[in-house]
Amino acid sequence: MMIVRWLGRYYSVFVLLAVYELIVRLGLVSPRLLPSLTVIGDQLWIYLANGQLLMHAQVTLYRAFAGFALALVGGVVIGTLMARSRLMERLIEPIFYFGYPIPKIALYPVFIFVFGLGTGSTIALIFLECIYPIAIHVHAGMRSTDRVLIWAARNMGASQAQVFWRVLVPAALPIFFTGLRIALPVALIITLVTEIIGESRGLGYFVTYASASFQYARGMAAFVVIAVIGFALDRALQLVRRRVVFWQRTDVEIK
Amino acid sequence: MAKERYPAWLGLLPPLVIVAVWEILGDAGHLPDYLPPPSVIARQTMAMLASGELFQHIGVSLFQALSGFAIGAFFGVTTGLLSGALQPVERFYEPLISLTYPVPKIAALPLIFAWFGLGDMSKIIIITVSVFYPIYISALSGAKSVSKVHVWAARNMGASRAQIIWRVLLPTALPQIFNGLRIGLALSFVVMFVAEMVVSSVGLGFLIVFAEQNLRFDIMYVAIVAIGIIGFGADFLLRQIGRRVLVGQMAATELRR
Repeated sequence: MMIVRWLGRYYSVFVLLAVYELIVRLGLVSPRLLPSLTVIGDQLWIYLANGQLLMHAQVTLYRAFAGFALALVGGVVIGTLMARSRLMERLIEPIFYFGYPIPKIALYPVFIFVFGLGTGSTIALIFLECIYPIAIHVHAGMRSTDRVLIWAARNMGASQAQVFWRVLVPAALPIFFTGLRIALPVALIITLVTEIIGESRGLGYFVTYASASFQYARGMAAFVVIAVIGFALDRALQLVRRRVVFWQRTDVEIK
Repeated sequence: MAKERYPAWLGLLPPLVIVAVWEILGDAGHLPDYLPPPSVIARQTMAMLASGELFQHIGVSLFQALSGFAIGAFFGVTTGLLSGALQPVERFYEPLISLTYPVPKIAALPLIFAWFGLGDMSKIIIITVSVFYPIYISALSGAKSVSKVHVWAARNMGASRAQIIWRVLLPTALPQIFNGLRIGLALSFVVMFVAEMVVSSVGLGFLIVFAEQNLRFDIMYVAIVAIGIIGFGADFLLRQIGRRVLVGQMAATELRR
């Protein structure tokens, strides 16, 4: 019963996959360019079994998580500083709000010279890209705290620290998680991009190398792994969010 | 609002200090080659503006980013609104979008280059796909936030389905659509830039790679500055348009920043 409902809900996915397979089977396109699903499945199986895809996935995930973790720490610190100190807000806020729409990926070549080609420059770029959404959402979250809640806490004799940990932090959490949900896929995207541009390891490199050697089925198999990782990370983050912010069901946006 | 203790110009301080220190250290020769002083970058920018070389690269980059953005925005808004209005449309798109939204589509770049060639076409396609998602989602959630009473009232007065979408759902969804457009626009520049860095012979992404390979760091920074200004300028322009279009809508305040 569950399965039937599940199939019903995702019927369009199966329709599209079937159409794709039909086009390939009818020979409307070159089977080399658009390989059949079974061929992609075979490639996926081979490269999962020999450990290559897992090895590259490990490299990609390590970079994405390292950069994301650094940005998390930096973003929370800067966002909190901006929210708690008027002077810091005046000094730093313009950099974050004006710098937000600027594509920071343009600095990648500079980072290569500073941090070297490979993991160092990738992590530095992820840090720079992810710190923006995190800091801005922490700032906005703390700023949006209901004044009445703070007054009530003070009135009941809460200390500064207590107001911070028991009122401001919980109030900021929902918006904070919205920021994380923006930043986490960015971390993965930046990792893949730097691996596509110039690397010898990682899933981005694997797709590039496979395509460059005309092994499109292999490239698509790697893309399947990337898709699963992206999807799983998003789901995992939402699971954590539901645990931590149990009192709010849906995502919140900055007002 | 209470009187501000700290004036707004304080925000100019950190960037100015950084540029000043950079310039002084650079002139004294204490910085590595890859950090040419700002005055050198400014002079090179002027030279490349005067010769028109920079405009050629900017033109190509803008053409790719904006055509991808326009196509993606068109499909994002129309399918988003239709999904918000018609159940079967949403039933078709919702699972596809929710499954593929968190997937980093950019990783398919090498495959897209293989399928559609190394020219503009591939770049516009990947930009279109990337831009589509945030705009579709904002249009859908905007359309769904419409109050039932408005729809009933319109239907009662004899509005057709198309009229309800065009005259009721679209205006209601506009503030959210503009938020989605802002995200999409920023994304289009990032993706354009990445695609050009991977394969191209003209454009700002190419300029940066070319400068890097020839160790012309001044040119590299010219391209970086140009990208930054275009990214910021396009966002600013969109916000101005948003403010005009959304006059009187409460949510317009969201676009103030």
